[in-house]
Amino acid sequence: MEKKKKMSLVAKQRAAGWMFLILATAMIVVMSFYPMVQALITSFKTGTGKNFKWADPWNYNYIRMFQDKMFMKSVGNTFLYLIIQVPIMLILAILLAQLLNNKDLKFRGLFRTCVFLPCAVSLVSYSLIFKSIFATQGLVNMILTKMHIISENINWLGQTNTARFVIIIALIWRWTGYNMVFYLAGLQNIEYSVYEAAKIDGANAWKTFWYMTVPLLKPVIIMTFIMSINGTLQLFDESVNLTNGGPANTTITMSHYIYNNSFGQGVANFGYASAMSFFVLILVAILAAINLKVGDTRD
Amino acid sequence: MKRKALSIILASAMSLSLLAGCGSAAEQTAAPADDAQAQTETEAAPAADAAAEEAAPTADVASEGEHELSVYAWDKNFNIPALEAAEKAYQTVDPDFKLNIIEQSASSDVENAVTLAANSGDYSQLPDIVLFQDHYIQNYVTNYPDAWIDLEDAGIDWSNLGAEKISYSTIGGKHYGAPVDNGTAIFAYRTDILEECGYTIDDVTGITWERWLEIGRDVKAKTGKYLLSMDHNGDDLPYMMMQAEGQSQWKDGQPYFVGNDTLKQILEVIITGAKDGVIYLCNDWSEYTDTSIIGDQVAGVFNGNWIIPTMEQVSENSGKWAITTIPTLSGKEGYAANGGSSLYITSNCSKPELAKAFLAYTFGGGEGAIATYDDALRNGGVIGTCISASKSDVYQEGVDFFNGQSIYADIVAMGANVPVVEQSDYHYNARTYIQAAITNVINGSDLDTELQGAEDQVKFEMGQ
Repeated sequence: MEKKKKMSLVAKQRAAGWMFLILATAMIVVMSFYPMVQALITSFKTGTGKNFKWADPWNYNYIRMFQDKMFMKSVGNTFLYLIIQVPIMLILAILLAQLLNNKDLKFRGLFRTCVFLPCAVSLVSYSLIFKSIFATQGLVNMILTKMHIISENINWLGQTNTARFVIIIALIWRWTGYNMVFYLAGLQNIEYSVYEAAKIDGANAWKTFWYMTVPLLKPVIIMTFIMSINGTLQLFDESVNLTNGGPANTTITMSHYIYNNSFGQGVANFGYASAMSFFVLILVAILAAINLKVGDTRD
Repeated sequence: MKRKALSIILASAMSLSLLAGCGSAAEQTAAPADDAQAQTETEAAPAADAAAEEAAPTADVASEGEHELSVYAWDKNFNIPALEAAEKAYQTVDPDFKLNIIEQSASSDVENAVTLAANSGDYSQLPDIVLFQDHYIQNYVTNYPDAWIDLEDAGIDWSNLGAEKISYSTIGGKHYGAPVDNGTAIFAYRTDILEECGYTIDDVTGITWERWLEIGRDVKAKTGKYLLSMDHNGDDLPYMMMQAEGQSQWKDGQPYFVGNDTLKQILEVIITGAKDGVIYLCNDWSEYTDTSIIGDQVAGVFNGNWIIPTMEQVSENSGKWAITTIPTLSGKEGYAANGGSSLYITSNCSKPELAKAFLAYTFGGGEGAIATYDDALRNGGVIGTCISASKSDVYQEGVDFFNGQSIYADIVAMGANVPVVEQSDYHYNARTYIQAAITNVINGSDLDTELQGAEDQVKFEMGQ
């Protein structure tokens, strides 16, 4: 009788494994999945406060967002950042990684730390610093005036194109080092002998980089791409703190507009905000899927 | 293929979990905005305050003793001294009385606290009383009726309080709020700069906007200073100018931008002023206060009178300012109000009787009103709307910063002339799109098209 009840060694180990997993799983379910399901349910409701009720038709919020010029504008802004900023940032990151991977370089650690340091700065504080640097009476205007490049102060954050430019510059400053670290890690996994072989075969630096480094780094490149797309689509702090969406809402991002619909501007419209959040989710999922499809050449 | 499908699922799961932040922001769990959000509100504290200590939303909001009340407020130079004055005044009838003032970093923190509490159905996070912005309160009472306790049986004589002020806090015929500050707009000019250009304060009183623009161009050419500045990220200029005309951007609850001739003419004044360097449209609140006003770039300030403490930070300009009425399109003297807030009892209040008695005795015009409003004025520069309290001597005193002008009496007198115009729950939506229209027209767009676009968008947002 007793022998039957006793678990085998394998079963015991399995049980222990489940025990370890269950806590984390429960927490993810409660903290992450449950709110997501709730948000999905909320996205089928409409109205504010006491008038919060089921939408009629059920997909009212989802239809509404495509008729909402402001939301479409925020989608456009976000994609603009995505298309311009992500490629520039990743190319810069890979070049920097290549430079700093040089074995003969002195003070490599110092340089690497310098490039990575911006990532240690909080999003809000760096946004506010960029805001003051690019203020009409700010540092950039002062330097440009002293160097006689401009005669009158530029209102960087007051004009659409310059405001977008400032946001993109800020993003590049903040995130290049972060991506560089991934590339550095990837580069260090490449055997030096591969390069020696290339050298013996007479490949120049460019060919080595293009035909050896890039293909070998491919998994890392895809990962950084997905992360960058994901991050840019959810851009929030820069839009809120640097420009507050202005001028005339031409720099507002999707997440910022979602926030404005839930807090920020009076009584909350949580149903609509949730629906827009799911739109962002679908966008991220589609883009990530495309990225994986394009990047994966294994089968 | 299987592996690919799996990887797609994993990728979406990954992004999903990263998105959970978004999802839960739409839920009720997100924390209220931090102090970076502090800048835009009409009643925003001077920029220094934005960095002031941040009261956690779950801070101790409970009022322990039988004689204690808790209250949210947000400006330690302005409305918090007013509350302290009221606390002191009420202690004469209840010596054990204690007001637990919890400082918030901005008015939007109070709004977010109510939003969170109401949507989660857990009012226990709210204090007994909150200070709330006038333009927002209608919307919040309509949407979250359970969050408030009205003041109908508090025994306040409502006719003793400014009618325009009370019109905000009266919802569905019921009085909800006890007024604190009066938002009467002032138009202040630097008399020394006007003099330098050959004008006096009388030359800018009761003039048309057209004439005002001429003077502005003159001042700009001679001194390089702007005649006016405004935070163009929360631009109250169109609203105040419309009110001075006695007109509204609203008609029968709907936005009235298209075909509204007064609005169009006013926007043209702003656009011309901005193009000609007469009006400095700032990108945000701190540029407005720190760069334009404290940075001494303007010869005029036009805003709710709560802007006075900001002006007074430039002590070397003391004695050079004077306050007058607002220009209008026709040239009559204009009066407007902007901002201002009132105190509201939340449904979490465990001692509503005490709270009502306190509000009625102090800000509501009861026996402690004169003591309250006098100290509020002395310590915070808060000008009330209580008619009986404004008879007090303190209100008649001349102010050195304004060259001995008895500005408080003047402001109270001006406040009595502010016309009541149609208001809307969507005041700030209208503000957002009108200011966007101004920006776009300055950058070359056509005003009629922009007004049509703004009206469409506001109507769309009203459709929820």
